[in-house]
Amino acid sequence: MARALLAVALSVHLLGIALAAIGELTHRQPLARAGALALAAAWLLELSTLVAAGLAASAFPLRTGPEYLLVLGWFVLTLHLALWFRLRVRAAALVLPPVSALMILAGVLLAEPPSPTSTLTTQGWFVFHTSIATAGVAALAVSFAMSLLFLIKERALKTKRSLRVLTALPTLEALDRLGFQALLYGFPLLTLGIATGMVYSAAVHDRLWIWGAKEVFPVIAWAVFAALLWARFARGIQGRRSAILAIAGFAFALLTFVGMVR
Amino acid sequence: MLTLVGMNHNSAPLPLRERACFAEEDLPAVLSRLLAATGASEAMILATCNRVEILARAPEGVTPAEAIKAFLARERGIEPPTLDSHLYVREGLHAARHLFAVACGLDSMILGEPQILGQVKRAYAIARENGATGPVLDRLLQHGIAAAKRVRTTTGISRHAVSIAYAAATLARTIFDDLSGRSALLIGAGKMTQLAARHLVSQGVSDLKVTNRTYSRAVPLAESLGGAAIAWDAFAAELSRVDIVLTGTAAAHPVVTKALVRDAVRARRGRPLFIVDIAVPRDVEPAVGELDGVYLYDVDDLQGVVVAAMDERRRAAEEAWRMLDVEVVAFDRWRQTVDLGPTIAALSERLHHMGEDELERFARRLASLTPEQRAIVRDLARSLIQKVLHTPIVALKSAAARGEASARAALYREIFGLDEPRPDAEGAGSGPTHAISGGKDE
Repeated sequence: MARALLAVALSVHLLGIALAAIGELTHRQPLARAGALALAAAWLLELSTLVAAGLAASAFPLRTGPEYLLVLGWFVLTLHLALWFRLRVRAAALVLPPVSALMILAGVLLAEPPSPTSTLTTQGWFVFHTSIATAGVAALAVSFAMSLLFLIKERALKTKRSLRVLTALPTLEALDRLGFQALLYGFPLLTLGIATGMVYSAAVHDRLWIWGAKEVFPVIAWAVFAALLWARFARGIQGRRSAILAIAGFAFALLTFVGMVR
Repeated sequence: MLTLVGMNHNSAPLPLRERACFAEEDLPAVLSRLLAATGASEAMILATCNRVEILARAPEGVTPAEAIKAFLARERGIEPPTLDSHLYVREGLHAARHLFAVACGLDSMILGEPQILGQVKRAYAIARENGATGPVLDRLLQHGIAAAKRVRTTTGISRHAVSIAYAAATLARTIFDDLSGRSALLIGAGKMTQLAARHLVSQGVSDLKVTNRTYSRAVPLAESLGGAAIAWDAFAAELSRVDIVLTGTAAAHPVVTKALVRDAVRARRGRPLFIVDIAVPRDVEPAVGELDGVYLYDVDDLQGVVVAAMDERRRAAEEAWRMLDVEVVAFDRWRQTVDLGPTIAALSERLHHMGEDELERFARRLASLTPEQRAIVRDLARSLIQKVLHTPIVALKSAAARGEASARAALYREIFGLDEPRPDAEGAGSGPTHAISGGKDE
């Protein structure tokens, strides 16, 4: 039942992606708006499956890697809708909805029963840790999307070929600024996520640090973002190099899930 | 009947268009002379630098095209044969379609240019204020202007830049959030550079430095653009500061070298620098465009943007034509419903006359009735006729909504003999009676 509902949600999600992308690229406002509404519907459907799953298991649905991906995908879509409806940043429609759909799809395909130790996962501390980390990575996904669009736009400006790309995307400056702003939200959340993860690890495994993908990759990502922030604040670096670092950092943050999927 | 007689940049050379053009302040008087001379009931004149179009609506059966041509020849003092070979005539829905296309910019020299819609609105306002328009032109123009707005916003026919100077400003707007308050450096004092600079200033660029090898030439240009002149050897320092650089010197060799810009780029730390090189031979070394954060566009690149924009507009134009055809059909439906008026009136009149005739024929046999009873018989006849009329009229109107009004109206006119002179009441009663009884048998 939950899977059927999720399948419906994903179909609506994919429909929204197609409509929004075509609408943005061809400057057809009604199509883009229809796409955004379909995505909003998908968001509601996905939220209800998450709630239903949580109620059925009477647990916070962040016990396994795949569950984490489901929630993360939903979170990314949440941020996209906020950007679209509140800030009128429309071009993100080309990146964020597909990214969130991929996360949810991966979550569905990799779904596994929670491990026995997961009884601990009902603890408040764990819920806090996972929610913070998910929100942080979702914000970083927005930063990633803006950085990717920045590079695409940059390339279009340099190659001078696609006028369509040039006019469909926001200005170079706006993409740079939005990517940075998302980072300003994502980085503190990621920091907090890592710190609470350590505390949780200390409580459960009696060790502050474990050498595993789940632990190493977030820290590498954190280091990349820290370097990026330092470059921006201390040296005033912006543009292409900043975008590449943001994309690299997000890639490391995603690799965390390698450590969560058995 | 709608009739449009006109000339545009395709049909007539500029000298002739100049001679045929009306001054705006003359239009009220010209319009009233036009209505008087051509027998048209409504008229409008659109006169711009690229076109003169006279749109008129004449009563059924009058085709005023020749009268309009003669009027134009007389008014503007042009020999009719010369004028005739450069005029085009569109009638009926073709006239409506042409007007819609003009309003959309589909008939303009620069496809999709936006000024023409304003000119159409103005021409319509003048005609309306002077009482030259009536129900049909009002509807046509209001419909056409609304349709043109819709077509422009949905197809993007006016979206892309189609001149080099405009293309430079458009590109700048894809890089920077907002051009207001931006800084620009102008190197050289060529005509094209000035034009591009003016575009940038009109978009809000406020901090403008102008340099030229001959300082004295930079000063008046800087003044006219609201900027400041700087010495030639000071421009390198500006490269690390300004957002936009425009070059257009007559130098034989590049004046902005890669080494020069590389130093500036290092200081800019990724802040975008947009360089527009309008000079031929080029002022900026092509390798400058490889530097991080530098976007270099030369004349060919800008031309490429213009060509791409024209392609986009042409593609948009195809869609615009499709949309227009739908709008023309919608206008036609409305016009057909209006055209039904005379048919419906004639039909009703014919049947009521039949009723009167029959009542008269029976007058002697009804003489024995009281006045009250006679009134009842009269009401009965009238009510019967109304009932008989009701269904055919409803059917006619719904046929008009499907776009079949004229065929259906012709059928009605034939069945009820509406185009024949009304037979005199005397001795000709059998015809109409037959028509009615035929209707009842069905």
